[in-house]
Amino acid sequence: MFLCTLLVIHSLTALATPSLRWGADPSGGAPYVFADPANPQSYTGFDYEFAEALAREMGMTAQFVPTDWESIVASLNRKEFDVIINGFEPTEDRAREMLFSKPYYLFRLQLTVRKNDTRISSIADCKKLGIPVGTLVNCSASRLLDEGGYKSVGYQDPVGAYQDLENGRVDAVLMDVAGEMFYARKNPNLRPAGEPFNTGAYVVGIRKGDTELKKRIDAAIVRLSDDGATERIFRKWDLWNDEQLTLRSAEPAKYEVAKSTFNWSEGLIKLTKAALVTVLIAFGAMLIAVILGIPLALGQSNGGTAVKVLCTVYIEFFRGTPVLVQLLFLYFGLPVVGITLPGWLTAVVGLGLNYAAYESQVYRMAFEAVPSRQWQVAYSLGMRPVQAFRRIIFPQAFRTALPPMTNDFVSLFKDTSTAFAIAVWELATAYRELANATQSYLGIGLVVCCYYLAMSLPLAHYAHKLEQRLQRKSTGILSSGSNT
Amino acid sequence: MITIKGLTTTVQGTKLLNNVNLELKPGRILGIIGPSGNGKTTLLMCLCGLLPFENGTITVGGKTLRAEESGSRSETIWEFRKKSGIVFQHLHLFPHLTVLGNIIEAPVHVNRTPKAEAERQAIDLLAKLGIEQHRNKYPEELSGGEQQRVAILRALSMNPEVLLLDEPTSALDPIRSGDVRKLLQEFAASGHTVVIVSHSVRFLKGIADELAFMGKSEMIEMNSTQELLENPRDERTREFLSYSELN
Repeated sequence: MFLCTLLVIHSLTALATPSLRWGADPSGGAPYVFADPANPQSYTGFDYEFAEALAREMGMTAQFVPTDWESIVASLNRKEFDVIINGFEPTEDRAREMLFSKPYYLFRLQLTVRKNDTRISSIADCKKLGIPVGTLVNCSASRLLDEGGYKSVGYQDPVGAYQDLENGRVDAVLMDVAGEMFYARKNPNLRPAGEPFNTGAYVVGIRKGDTELKKRIDAAIVRLSDDGATERIFRKWDLWNDEQLTLRSAEPAKYEVAKSTFNWSEGLIKLTKAALVTVLIAFGAMLIAVILGIPLALGQSNGGTAVKVLCTVYIEFFRGTPVLVQLLFLYFGLPVVGITLPGWLTAVVGLGLNYAAYESQVYRMAFEAVPSRQWQVAYSLGMRPVQAFRRIIFPQAFRTALPPMTNDFVSLFKDTSTAFAIAVWELATAYRELANATQSYLGIGLVVCCYYLAMSLPLAHYAHKLEQRLQRKSTGILSSGSNT
Repeated sequence: MITIKGLTTTVQGTKLLNNVNLELKPGRILGIIGPSGNGKTTLLMCLCGLLPFENGTITVGGKTLRAEESGSRSETIWEFRKKSGIVFQHLHLFPHLTVLGNIIEAPVHVNRTPKAEAERQAIDLLAKLGIEQHRNKYPEELSGGEQQRVAILRALSMNPEVLLLDEPTSALDPIRSGDVRKLLQEFAASGHTVVIVSHSVRFLKGIADELAFMGKSEMIEMNSTQELLENPRDERTREFLSYSELN
């Protein structure tokens, strides 16, 4: 009864006060917004507390909507929530399609390297040495790197970036100080390289046209700043510094607005590079799968009990678990036992191991489809086992195996897109990142589709030709002198 | 020339052949009759070295295979297999090779005969059977009778001492057509041996010089075709013949 009353009161208050729906990505989102370790059902973080304070100041109830960082602007425009509060930075290209509030926090970027790496003491060293810098996709750090012509590697969340730094897959990571403090500062294997630099601002992102909402939010931000509420929040997270005081004065604060970095010719070069990586992964993985499938098939069909069990376990494991999970396991799990492969190689090996399980079954099916009498006929003609296999059995099995193998290759080709999860710059990753950076999902999407087709159509065409040739061989369209 | 002494074989716990003895001179065509499932095909498989046996010896064209060698991969068995050619009931042509390819496969790749020479010989034989115009076709484009001729030529391609045919009546019965019969008779007349297994007495009557009757896993009796059909000595032979007259 008490509970019911509570619920009624709660919903009544919800009805009475309008809610401010705010979006942020809580995965790997510390210290901005993240699941509270003490109580995983609820969230915490400085942005979470700031959003609560802001809504209260506006006489509203804050309602948190978890979303995905990469597509956060698209989600805002789809009206999944009213505002973005997620360490969100104003940029030139975003300014074209949305409004920004006044800044509520000024941040800087921090470069991090491994403790024992003495080569790097500033971002300039990375450029000089040609060292790629890891960072989050589509943030001020990534834009700074793009603009400055640095090599960079994009990550979905800071955990993966710092883990790769520790494992030696990248040699430097550039991140907002807030993230750096939470994820890297206490790690004994890492150290900050140089001082924080490049002041940027966190603002609230608002839909274009919501000018009334923007006015109210701006007024609330100033009030929170002036009465020290903002300071209390950021002090609690150990992120307060005197630079923030400039936000109190009436003068507009000084901070950098990242420029729009996308232009089509550079975009096309990036996509082409991504397409080449996609092709490399697909062919490399297929090569591994086609070769490794042979011992698996032989082991499962003809091996001793132990070998048979091992092969079956392998095959069922790789067929029964998602390839995405397998890639993550190889990428983040293997370094624990001292094996650290670069992302692209992990994708080649992972997809290769996965598809080997499928190819082994194609082989078994194909060889079982050849009647055992074919062996006997070959033997009766004086052939030895190896010769009978090569001349009689294999060509027949190959014809059966080719169509399913072609199908598998096309699937594999599409499965290369799972490599986005391990920071490989392949075509699907490129699409997500470029489209998010420009909000041009349609334009870049069409170009990406053209790239995929340019690669898959010749493949399908060639496979079709090959099948036709084998087909013709057995139906004899080419043969002469027919009068059946 | 075929000599079988005390041949006994068991497959998966069932005794398929029990102390079978047989002697056949060169130049003869032997028909083996008997109800289905009495070991006729098993005997052929042993004769061409494709089925291991547990007792006895088989001598084909001067090459002897003993029981203990019959399941091994010793040199003996590879050599022994070359002495005979077999045509299976369902033919089992190589589907990925043309008619010509089926016939020259073994001469070219086992005997290292030059391809041109092997092709010339194959085309001569195809011409003899009137199917040389099909030489570049694939097996599935041929009629059953044409496929059977190709299978016979493939079995003869390695110049075996003995030709074995398993239930050839199932493939449109071309054995009785003049040119195939002539080919088999010529083959036998040149000092070779032909063994045909069939459940059809009517079919064997027209081609076999001698007939053997197989009862349950055993060789019951063997005689010239005429003698066996007119004066069968064993009760079981008589019973089978009286039944098969109805077919």
